Amino acid sequence: MANNPMQQFTVHKIGPEINIAGVDLSFTNASLFMVISASLIILLLFVGSKEKKIIPSKIQLITEMFYTFVAKMISDTAGSKAKPYFPFIFSLFMFVLFCNMVGMLPYSFTVTSHIIVTLIMALFIFIAVTVIGFIKHGFKYLSIFVPSGVPAVLLPLITIIEIISYLSRPVSLSVRLFANMMAGHTMLKVFGGFVVSLGILGGWLPLSFSVALTGLEILVAFLQAYVFAILTCIYLNDALNLHH
Amino acid sequence: MTIPDEFKTRLKIAKSKLKKELENDNEKQGSFMGNAFKLGTELVAAVAVGTIIGFILDSWFDTKPWLIIIFFFLGAAAGMLNVIRAANKMQKD
Repeated sequence: MANNPMQQFTVHKIGPEINIAGVDLSFTNASLFMVISASLIILLLFVGSKEKKIIPSKIQLITEMFYTFVAKMISDTAGSKAKPYFPFIFSLFMFVLFCNMVGMLPYSFTVTSHIIVTLIMALFIFIAVTVIGFIKHGFKYLSIFVPSGVPAVLLPLITIIEIISYLSRPVSLSVRLFANMMAGHTMLKVFGGFVVSLGILGGWLPLSFSVALTGLEILVAFLQAYVFAILTCIYLNDALNLHH
Repeated sequence: MTIPDEFKTRLKIAKSKLKKELENDNEKQGSFMGNAFKLGTELVAAVAVGTIIGFILDSWFDTKPWLIIIFFFLGAAAGMLNVIRAANKMQKD
């Protein structure tokens, strides 16, 4: 079915089936596009940082822009204490951004439109932030569940609500990215299908919509990568600077 | 090759200028849109998590359907708390 808008999200195996201890580890189109995105990032950063000119070339300029953008984001939201985590947040931002952007190319596959990918990243961040919080503050870290200035009667209730709110972080983080990417790509495909079925007479209207939506999707692709990274910074800030 | 004094002072001035610029530069364009995208899922995710916790506890303690109802509302409260926090943060920036 060429008109099925969900067709683009199917994962299929490429090459031989690899089965290790009952776990299916075959190389799929999702893995292929992750490899492509990762290699593009490495290529960009490698070429961009090879020559250090005072008047930068275009690629060097782009690389430096990415660097300062992420560095500024971290220092704005999480302060100077978060400097050691720069490599992690930078790679996270670049990976999500490039997966989203590579997914915008025709005939490609959007890795971040699968909830398993985003959920694994979000869970990793969630667990890492919790561990960092416990390492930095010990059991005092649990005090983020107990806000100050709450009457003793309401305290158990508020604590349960705070715990639910804390546990909802990985869910909201992963669902946001996944839902935005999947909805956008489905919509593009639906409008593409309209163009085909309305033919040369009526197809111009959905075609123009499609063009506008592509622009919007590129914006969303960037914004979602940005939101993903900035929320990681905010969670990291909560873990590093305990204040309540 | 030694760096001449004149260059050193120029470098110093440039560095302090850069530092001042970094401190003053507090505009956050683009993040508004990001914030708008943030709020919706924030509310839904907490409700979902609350309901799932209620469901799991229900099957542990065999108290169907009471805990799922209670935790649904607690989840909704947590979601509102999340949204209020995010909105407060937006206003502060």
